[in-house]
Amino acid sequence: MGLAGSDAGTRMDRPGLVQPVELRSLLSGTGLISSSAGPGLNRSDSGGCPNSIATRSVMREHVGVTGRLPNATALGKALRREIAALEIAASCDATDLWAASRDCSSAGLLWTKARVSPHPPDVVAWPESAEQVAALVRLAGKQRVPVVPVGGGTGTAGGAVPLRGGIVLDTKRLTRPLRIDAGRGAVDAGAGTNGKRLDELLSKERLTLGHGPPSLRTATVGGWLATRSAGLLSSRYGTVADMVLSLTAVDGSGEILRTLEGPSAGPDLCKLLLGSEGTLAIFTEVRLRIWRRPRERWLRAVRFGSLQDALAAVREVLRSGLRPHIASLHDPLDTLFAGTDPLRVPQPLKWLAEGAQAEALRLALRAPLLLNRLIDALPGSSLVVLGFEGDTEDDTAQEGEAALVICGKERGEDLGAAPAEWWLASAHRAPWRQAPLFAAGAFVETLDVATTWPRAEALYHAVRRAAEGQALVRAHFAHAAPEGCGIEFTLLGLAGGTAAEVSSVPRDEAESDLERAQEARDAVWNAALTAVADEGATISHHSGVGSSRQAFLHRELGDGMRALRALKQAFDPHGILNPGKLLS
Amino acid sequence: MIAREDLAATGVAVVEEGEGLRLTPPSAAALARAVAVVRAYRLPLHVRGSGDAPANAPAGGVLFDLGSLDRIASVDPAAGIGRVEAGCSVAALESAVRRSGCTLGPLLPSVRAGSVGAWLAGPTRGERGIPGARRQTAALTVAAVLPDGRIAEGRAAPAKAVGPDLDQLALGGGGRLCIVATAGIRLFPATLAMPSAWRFPDVSAAVAALERLCEHRLAPARARIRAGADGATLGMVWEGIQSAAIERDRAGRILLEFCTPAPEVPPNFVREPPDGHPVEVDARWASLRAWSPHGDLIFFGLHGGGAFAVLSLPEAGAAEQCAALARAAGARVIAPRRLRDSGPGWEAAGAGSVWERLVVALGAPP
Repeated sequence: MGLAGSDAGTRMDRPGLVQPVELRSLLSGTGLISSSAGPGLNRSDSGGCPNSIATRSVMREHVGVTGRLPNATALGKALRREIAALEIAASCDATDLWAASRDCSSAGLLWTKARVSPHPPDVVAWPESAEQVAALVRLAGKQRVPVVPVGGGTGTAGGAVPLRGGIVLDTKRLTRPLRIDAGRGAVDAGAGTNGKRLDELLSKERLTLGHGPPSLRTATVGGWLATRSAGLLSSRYGTVADMVLSLTAVDGSGEILRTLEGPSAGPDLCKLLLGSEGTLAIFTEVRLRIWRRPRERWLRAVRFGSLQDALAAVREVLRSGLRPHIASLHDPLDTLFAGTDPLRVPQPLKWLAEGAQAEALRLALRAPLLLNRLIDALPGSSLVVLGFEGDTEDDTAQEGEAALVICGKERGEDLGAAPAEWWLASAHRAPWRQAPLFAAGAFVETLDVATTWPRAEALYHAVRRAAEGQALVRAHFAHAAPEGCGIEFTLLGLAGGTAAEVSSVPRDEAESDLERAQEARDAVWNAALTAVADEGATISHHSGVGSSRQAFLHRELGDGMRALRALKQAFDPHGILNPGKLLS
Repeated sequence: MIAREDLAATGVAVVEEGEGLRLTPPSAAALARAVAVVRAYRLPLHVRGSGDAPANAPAGGVLFDLGSLDRIASVDPAAGIGRVEAGCSVAALESAVRRSGCTLGPLLPSVRAGSVGAWLAGPTRGERGIPGARRQTAALTVAAVLPDGRIAEGRAAPAKAVGPDLDQLALGGGGRLCIVATAGIRLFPATLAMPSAWRFPDVSAAVAALERLCEHRLAPARARIRAGADGATLGMVWEGIQSAAIERDRAGRILLEFCTPAPEVPPNFVREPPDGHPVEVDARWASLRAWSPHGDLIFFGLHGGGAFAVLSLPEAGAAEQCAALARAAGARVIAPRRLRDSGPGWEAAGAGSVWERLVVALGAPP
C-alpha cells in the first residue's frame, strides 16, 4: 500500500492537483477522516495556485485510506514531457492521479471507501491561459489522447471522471482575468476562479452574481458553466446560463472561440456551449452579469397541511410576478427534519439523518419500504421557506406580505422568520453531512430533476414509489419558476460495510463490498430515473448528466441524440474531449 | 420530376412556384417526411410561416409554407404554457391565450405580425423581457425537424442540465440547421398594466434613467421615449399580478431623485404606434444612448444589457435613413426584413470552421 510503483516523491516543487482542503473533502466524504480542516488548510489561500507540499502532507497523513495509488504509465510520462515542453505544468505523480480520478459523486465516494481508483488519468496538466489550453488540446488531438477538463471536482454526476484515461486538464490555474466592470454590470473571470473567492470579491463592492450553489466554496466558475449550474437563489437570478454575457473556450481542434457580448446572428453559440460538460469545448474565461447586492432580506417559513396546497401556493407566488430569491418547499419527511413541526423527530430518524448509531442506521436501512411507510403514517405537513431581497425593509416586506396573502389562500400558516433563518444557515452545510452516512455503511444519492407545475406532484410520488423499496426517500422542491420547478430527492440506502470494517479487510473483500454497494446504489438510482423519464420530466436540473445519468439521456433527448452527435463531430472532430460522456 | 413525386408521397401539397416548388405540409409529421426527401435530393429550401414576409421558392429548390401548420394544441393557464404549431401567427396565438387569461407579453411589432416559427427562428430567437430585467426565450420546448427528417424535442422544464441546449440549434437559426415544427410557449398571466410617465431634459437623459431602472432590476414591460419642444417624456408600464404596482412604485422612488413626474401624458402613450417609417433593433444601452439625439424610441424586452427597440425619426424620415443612423449607433437592425443586418455570427466568434462542420454533420442543405 502507499506509493509503490508510482514515481511520486521525485519532485517536491511540482504542482499538485488538489488543494489540501479539497483533498480532505474527497477523503472526508467517505467519513474516513475528520472533515474539519487542519492548520494551514483553510480555504482563504485557495484562489489559484495549488500548494503541492501541503497537499502531499495531507496525502501522507491519510495515505492509509487511499489504497494502492495509481501507477504512472509510460504514456503519462511521455505526455508529461511533451506538455512540459509547452511550458505547461504537468504531473503524473500518484497523488495527483489519485485525486484526479474521482469527483464528489457517490460512486467516487464508494471508490474511496473501498480504496480503489478504477479510472486514473495518465497525466494531469495545469494550463494558465486560453493559449496554453489550445496548445494542450492540439497536442492531445495529434496523439488522439482524451482531455478531461476538471474544475473544483465537486460534481456529483461523475462528469469529470476520466473514464478513458488521458489528460486531466485542471482549470484551477485559469484564474485570470478577475476584473469587475461595475459600469457595465459585469465581471470577467477565468474559468478556474473559485466560486467563494468571486463571491467575496463582489461582496466587497456591494455587488452580487446571485449564484449560490452548495458547492460555492470549492467549485470553479468553469464548472458552473460546464453543468449549467443553478444555485440557491435561482428563482430570482436564474441559472448560470442566465448570467453569462460572453465566454472564451477552446474547441476540440484547439481553436479559441470568443463569443460576442450583445446582439449576434444565428444560433446562440454561447448558450449552445453551456452545459456541454467538457465534451464540446473547454471554458477558459467568462463575462458574467452582476447586480447590486441587496441591503435587506425578508425570510419566512410557512407550514401547509398538504404537499398539494404548498405546491399551489409556491406556483401562485411565482405566477403572480413576485420574485422570491428563495422559494423552497419540503416534503413531510424533510419538513420533519427541518424541526419546525410540532411533532418531534423520532430518535431513530435522527440517527438516519445524521449517520449516528451506525448499527441502528444499518438495521433501519435493511427495511426501507417499512421505514418509508412508517414515515408516511406520521402526521405530516409541508414547509415552505420564502425569501425576498430589496434595498429597504419596506421593499422586501411589501413583496413578502403579498406572498403571505397568497400562501394564506392555500391554508398556509406563517411560522415567522426564525425557522427560515435556521433553514438558510444550514442550507449550505447539507452536502457535507454525507460523510458519517458513508462511514456508517450507507450511500446517499441526490437526484435533481425538473418538470412543469401540473406534473410536479405526480413526479414526486412516482419517484417515491419507485425508490421506496430500496432506499429512504426525502425531497424538497426548489428552483421554482413560473412554469415549474426542480425537485431534489435524497436517496439513502445500505451500501455494504462500515468504513472501519472495509479498511481492515483484504483488498478483494473490499472490492466485493464495493460491488455490492454499487449494485444497491445502481438499483435505486435506475428505478428513480426510470420513474423520472416515464413521467416526462427532465433527468437533471443542474447537476449535469456525467456518467451517472448517461444511460437515460436517450430517453430525455430521443432523436435529439442525433443532433448531439452532430455537435460533437463539429466541435470535437477528433473525439478527444471528455470521451464517454453524453455520448458513449 | 422524381423529387416532386417523392415529395407528394410524403403527404405535403406540392405546387410549382417560379423556378421551384412550394410545399404545404398538413402536419408536423408530413413536414418531417418531406424534409428528409429534400435532404436526399440535396435541394435548397426556404421556410415561410403564416404572416411572415413573402418568400419564394429558390430556383430548383423548395419553399416550405407552414401556413397550414397553425393549430394551437393547448393553452394551459395553470401551467402557463401554450402548445402551438410553428405556422400559427403570433397574433392568433395571443388572441387564443387572452381568452384563457394569459398573454405573450409585449412584443415587437414585427414579431406580432409574423408566425411563431418565424419568431423563434428569427433574429430575436423568441426572446422577450421577463421580470427582474432579464431576457428569456418564450420557447419552453421546441420540436425541430432535423435535416434527416427526424423530430427532436426536449422535455418541458424551467431549466435543465442534460448536455448542450439543443433548442439553440433552432432558435435564431432561420431554418438553416433545423425547422421549428411545434413549440411550447411560456405564457404570462394577463394583468392590467401599471403606467408611469416622467419628464426629462432630453432623450438621452431618459434613456439613461431607463438603463438605471434595469440596473435596479425594475425594468418595465415596455417603455417609450418621445422628444418634445421642452424636453423628453418617458412613459413606462409594468405588468404582473402582484409585482406591477410594487415595481412601479419602487421605480418612481428612484426616478424622483433626478426627474419629475409627467401627469399629463395620455393613457395610450406607450402603446401608440411609432411615427414615420421605423426600424426595429437589438441594441445595447450604449447604442441606445448614441441613438438618442436622432429620434423616438419604443422599448421591449428590456434587460441589464440593453433592449429591443423601435426607432423612428421625426418628420417621417425614411426607414433607410433610420436604419443607417441605428447602425452608426452600433445597433443591429432586425426589421423591416429588407433592411435586416445579417449581424456577427459564428465566424466573428472564431467558430466559422465549427459552423461548416456542423452543417455537414447535420446534413443540412449547403
